[in-house]
Amino acid sequence: MLWYKSWLETRWRFLIGLALLIVSATGTVLVYPRVAGILAAPPKVDVSGEIGRRVMEAIELSRDYRGYVWSQWFRQNMPQMWVLFAVLIGTGGLLSQGSGGGALFTLSLPITRQRLLAIRAATGLAELVVMAFVPSLFVTMFSPAIGQSYSLGDALVHSACLFIAGTTFFSLAFLLSTVFADIWRPALLACLVAAALAVTAEVVREFWRFSVFRVMTAEIYFRDGRLPWLGLLASAALSTAMLYAAARNISRQDF
Amino acid sequence: MLFRPNSSSGVPIYLQLMEQVKHGIETGALRPGEQLPGIRPLAEELVINPNTVAKAYRELEHEGVIELRHGAGAFVAGNAGAKKVSEKFRAGQAIVAAAVERLRARGVTDEEIRRLFEAELAGLARAPKSGGHSA
Amino acid sequence: MGATVRDAPVIEAVDLRKSYEGVEAVRGLNLEVPAGSIFGFLGRNGAGKTTTIKVLLGMARPTGGGVRVFGLPADSPEASVDIRRRTGFVSEDKDLYDYMDVGEMIRLTASFYPRWRADLAQRYLRAFELPPDRKVKALSRGMRTKLALLLALCRGAELLILDEPTSGLDPAVTEEVLQALVTHVASEAMTVFFSSHQIAEVDQIADRIAIIDRGRTIVSGALDDLRENFRRVQLVFDGAAPEVEFSAPGVVRVRRNGRVLSVLSNAGAERVIEKGRAFGAVSVDVVPVTLKEIFLETVAAED
Repeated sequence: MLWYKSWLETRWRFLIGLALLIVSATGTVLVYPRVAGILAAPPKVDVSGEIGRRVMEAIELSRDYRGYVWSQWFRQNMPQMWVLFAVLIGTGGLLSQGSGGGALFTLSLPITRQRLLAIRAATGLAELVVMAFVPSLFVTMFSPAIGQSYSLGDALVHSACLFIAGTTFFSLAFLLSTVFADIWRPALLACLVAAALAVTAEVVREFWRFSVFRVMTAEIYFRDGRLPWLGLLASAALSTAMLYAAARNISRQDF
Repeated sequence: MLFRPNSSSGVPIYLQLMEQVKHGIETGALRPGEQLPGIRPLAEELVINPNTVAKAYRELEHEGVIELRHGAGAFVAGNAGAKKVSEKFRAGQAIVAAAVERLRARGVTDEEIRRLFEAELAGLARAPKSGGHSA
Repeated sequence: MGATVRDAPVIEAVDLRKSYEGVEAVRGLNLEVPAGSIFGFLGRNGAGKTTTIKVLLGMARPTGGGVRVFGLPADSPEASVDIRRRTGFVSEDKDLYDYMDVGEMIRLTASFYPRWRADLAQRYLRAFELPPDRKVKALSRGMRTKLALLLALCRGAELLILDEPTSGLDPAVTEEVLQALVTHVASEAMTVFFSSHQIAEVDQIADRIAIIDRGRTIVSGALDDLRENFRRVQLVFDGAAPEVEFSAPGVVRVRRNGRVLSVLSNAGAERVIEKGRAFGAVSVDVVPVTLKEIFLETVAAED
């Protein structure tokens, strides 16, 4: 019944996040006809540098529906919101449940700390999988409503890349939760790291090549149809390492 | 056993229980051959440690006041044992009554009498002047 | 009855040490809890009671010394799981999951213990008047304690560890809790180890105690033995009480007050009386000592 307990602890974060993502996905689709109309007359953008280049690029991409979905949904809205919830769901756990939160009760049960941690991690990851795939499926489902179509295969691939690469943020929050006893610092720190990485990648072109966001958005797949294997592997390895470090921390922790 | 032992006095609870049983026999509340409450129900009722009740019963059996019949429970000893208790009690009562009367005649207050008895029982010595005495 | 056949102590601590960030909470604590006893663990706030309990349950790791529960090393993670399978625990804060209801807490706990006693759970639910669908966070303090106790008692455990079980409870609920404990111990073979600073309840139900102060055991033994061995001896002198160092075997504390020397001994009164007479005491008074006095005096003697 620890799975049930884990669910109870994260369910609101999950449900709210899922709802927001679904609404956002549907909204992104339904808004396209308006966007397409505006883009018929290309605006002149006066911003120079990397940001300006990106804005122009986004405009160009959006002329075509597939490009629009990628640049607006998979590269922007989806990762931003999903990473936020990945951090929120990764936060929590034994250390923050200190006294009054049930930690001592949990620790008095005949179960190893490793198993407790594993259950919490597994529940979080399961929730994040749902949050990665379901909203994108809504894109495919609602596209016909505006007279477009979006490939199910593309949706699945992008969702999978988002999830695998994005688990690094979940694991980061998870790890920080075994270091700080409150729930604010792990969440805040992980968000700051994500924000810093995102901004740097947007602004400095060289960073983008190695950025985790590039893997998450599966840019290579979008442009060339190739999967970012190296990036996915590296992300998975990094995630695993952080979860392992979290397990080590918890096993050494005094309560 | 109708009343709770006083757990805050310096007297061990099992001794208090033993006293209550003996007093019960003396006053006739417990008759020879009568069954005493079981260890578990008694501990529950008085909210004291079952081991304490067991100890009291064991000591009472050792003194011949009660019998522990295996499987059946604790019973007030047959006439011989109970009679011994009540005889001993009556003899003791007489001695104490005489002593108290003599002390009162000397002007010793009741509170002082009580302390003297307690001190005597707790294992002490009289002051050197009144001629030593071993505990 | 509580006593079992085993000889080995259920809990055994030898020179236990535990430091938290440079502060030594436990410094060389010794403890021996025999099977079948109701063991009271007395101490002031901050004396190291909760820390010791956490070490027993594997929630904290000792910095030195050894602790065994059921003969198993408490600081080994695997052995600790075994220990916890046979132990029921109630924390000082009656730690539970606020967001669950009574029924869910019972089902969750039951799922971990193959020897769960559903019959007892039903009985206690009724006796304690706990509503199964009330959320834990909506329970009063007394009901929270009773629920925590229910969860600990129904595990089919051989050892019950309670950290200040009746703290903050009104006398009626306190009595209910003590009665449930005593009843349970009477019918199941188990050992109870509880920490407290309510002397009265320790007096009432414990058969063995240990007094801990500043991370060390300063008194331990069977309560009845302690009651028989501790004596206060008042020595009265003709002139001022002698200023000499009054030491005899068993002397715990000596207080001078004008012509009176008040000596607390943990080994009977005889040696103290001898010594007192040797110093010229003109009168001697011996009184038994309550557990409260034993506690206050031995702890104060450490200051």
